[in-house]
Amino acid sequence: MAGETGTATTVSHLEKSVARLKALAVDALLLTTAGLMAELLIVAFSGRRGPTGLLLTAEEALDLLHYGWMAAACVVLAFTWNLFSRWIGSSPGRALVRGVPEWEADLPWSRTLRGWFAVLFIELTFFAGWLITEVDLPAFLTKFSKASDIVRGLVHPSMSILHQGVVLLVQTVFLAFMATAFAIPIAFALSFLAARNLTRGSVLARGLYTVVRAGMNFTRAVEPLVWALIFISWVGIGPFAGVLALWIHSVAALTKLYSEQIESIDLGPVEAITATGAGPLQVLRYGVVPQVMPPFLSFTIYRWDINVRMSTIIGFVGGGGIGYILKPRVDLGEWGEVGTLVLLIAITVWLMDIVSAKIRERIV
Amino acid sequence: MNAPPGGGRVAVRLQGVCKVYPGGVQALTDVSLEVREGEFLVVLGLSGSGKSTLLRCINRLVDPTLGRVWIFDDEMTAAEGARLRQLRRQVAMIFQQFNLVKRHSVLTNVLSGSLGRSPLLPSLFLRYPAVEREQALAALARMGLRDRGASRADALSGGQQQRVAVARALVQRPRVILADEPVASLDPALRHSLMRQIEQLSKEEGLTVICSLHDIDLVKRYATRLAALRDGHIVYEGPPGDFDRGTFREIYGTDAEPASNTLV
Ligand SMILES: Nc1ncnc2c1ncn2[C@@H]1O[C@H](COP(=O)(O)OP(=O)(O)OP(=O)(O)O)[C@@H](O)[C@H]1O
Ligand SMILES: [Mg+2]
Repeated sequence: MAGETGTATTVSHLEKSVARLKALAVDALLLTTAGLMAELLIVAFSGRRGPTGLLLTAEEALDLLHYGWMAAACVVLAFTWNLFSRWIGSSPGRALVRGVPEWEADLPWSRTLRGWFAVLFIELTFFAGWLITEVDLPAFLTKFSKASDIVRGLVHPSMSILHQGVVLLVQTVFLAFMATAFAIPIAFALSFLAARNLTRGSVLARGLYTVVRAGMNFTRAVEPLVWALIFISWVGIGPFAGVLALWIHSVAALTKLYSEQIESIDLGPVEAITATGAGPLQVLRYGVVPQVMPPFLSFTIYRWDINVRMSTIIGFVGGGGIGYILKPRVDLGEWGEVGTLVLLIAITVWLMDIVSAKIRERIV
Repeated sequence: MNAPPGGGRVAVRLQGVCKVYPGGVQALTDVSLEVREGEFLVVLGLSGSGKSTLLRCINRLVDPTLGRVWIFDDEMTAAEGARLRQLRRQVAMIFQQFNLVKRHSVLTNVLSGSLGRSPLLPSLFLRYPAVEREQALAALARMGLRDRGASRADALSGGQQQRVAVARALVQRPRVILADEPVASLDPALRHSLMRQIEQLSKEEGLTVICSLHDIDLVKRYATRLAALRDGHIVYEGPPGDFDRGTFREIYGTDAEPASNTLV
């Protein structure tokens, strides 16, 4: 037993050092970001002029920042803060990673360095963001007339495109449906592998968990629009490419939702079924599936709803559905026809929303 | 060790069982125990003393960190995979929270006790051989729930749900029953009736029972032998008759008083 406790303490030592390093990294990152934002504001307001003779644009100002120096300085600063945290209070990284010690817990934010840093950080983010995104309030408030053509077109929909629009709308809804339907079995199977509470058993299971999780995160991180481009060159322009693009994205999204649901089940029935001597498939069928079925259905319908919305955009690049005829109308500035199509989409999305909410209400 | 009444074969044997949970909690320390066939062993101890861990180490719902466990002549701790499942079939378990599959019918819940020997594919579609269905219905009738087979499990009261769980254990045709505070979530009035049913079953079928309990009244009435845990150690083992106020203090600490004077 002595050996056991020995390993336990080494592990906690290691964990502590890792936590310290993590806190330091978070601090360095936060301080560097804050430093860079401050420098950006200083450069932008120093009255320097860019090559065009105008005051510096945000991009030019970003070019001038001293990223490397700032990072190095802030690593030193973060280290110092963590070193003297007993006197000047915990650093934000330490508070995030390891929590604050008791004597600090009840202090109001205005009495801690960390609190002031947080306030400064938020202010800096706001003002730096204002500059970088080139917020232009005067244009927003005074130049509406330029857009009035579009708005007039949108509220005077043209009937000429109604028939074609409805036909493609039907295609859109089915496209979303097929993408969801193809996604269900695969997401269902993968979600068991992506649930942490079911994959603790063996090294193989834990490996599969990591692989599935990583794969799904990657798939989800790639925009459906990009998937659409990939599948368009694969199977050609048309609704099937759209189905595939939404399908792969749905698999990733549903796997994540399903597996989170599996992770929150009551393990009691799983134990009870395991205790009867049942095999792993039987344990899943009896201990897990009945608990997750209603939420799975609800997520799936919600996903169909989302897919209808996304398929419009997919159509823009050639993935079929109503977006396919919307794009050229926008490019040609035929705002009356655009108005018709937008209205059709809005009505469908609204209906889907109501229907899916009703069904989900029933199930849960 | 006191010779148990009957003095049959050893049904469950633990030897030097230790359990350390991830995170470092030492739930059991060097627990050795022998339970003979037909005994009704009650495990006592404060909350957190390791009772559930002890029971779960026996059917390997929890893997002991050290030590060995036997069910009759087979070593549980040496078995893996299909062999482990085969051994588990001999050991049924009843839980404090019943742990029924709430959305399944009562009958399906009872039938799930036979999963270990039922053909895999039909069982995944909730189909069972006719013999098993008859047995399950008989077990339900025996627990006084003949007409409730078609109800959804969560439509039943707590007492009824626990009787369904006992029927499920019965359908498993076990040789040992582990019961983890089986009556703790029940009405005090129902506790005796459920314990009586478990006792009766164990007598009729010659089952060995290991049961953790909190209620001293029940302990005195049903146990043929006691084992008491404190901080993961066995601090008392013997017939319930020898169990007195001093031993009680030893288990529950010096501040505790027996809840009822039937004990002393
Ligand atoms: N899965 C687990 N992970 C980590 N620690 C656990 C786990 N299960 C139990 N423990 C710890 O092991 C110790 C013994 O727990 P156990 O559940 O066996 O006690 P118990 O006697 O059954 O208590 P109770 O009467 O409350 O059910 C406790 O300190 C508990 O916190
Ligand atoms: Mg317990």
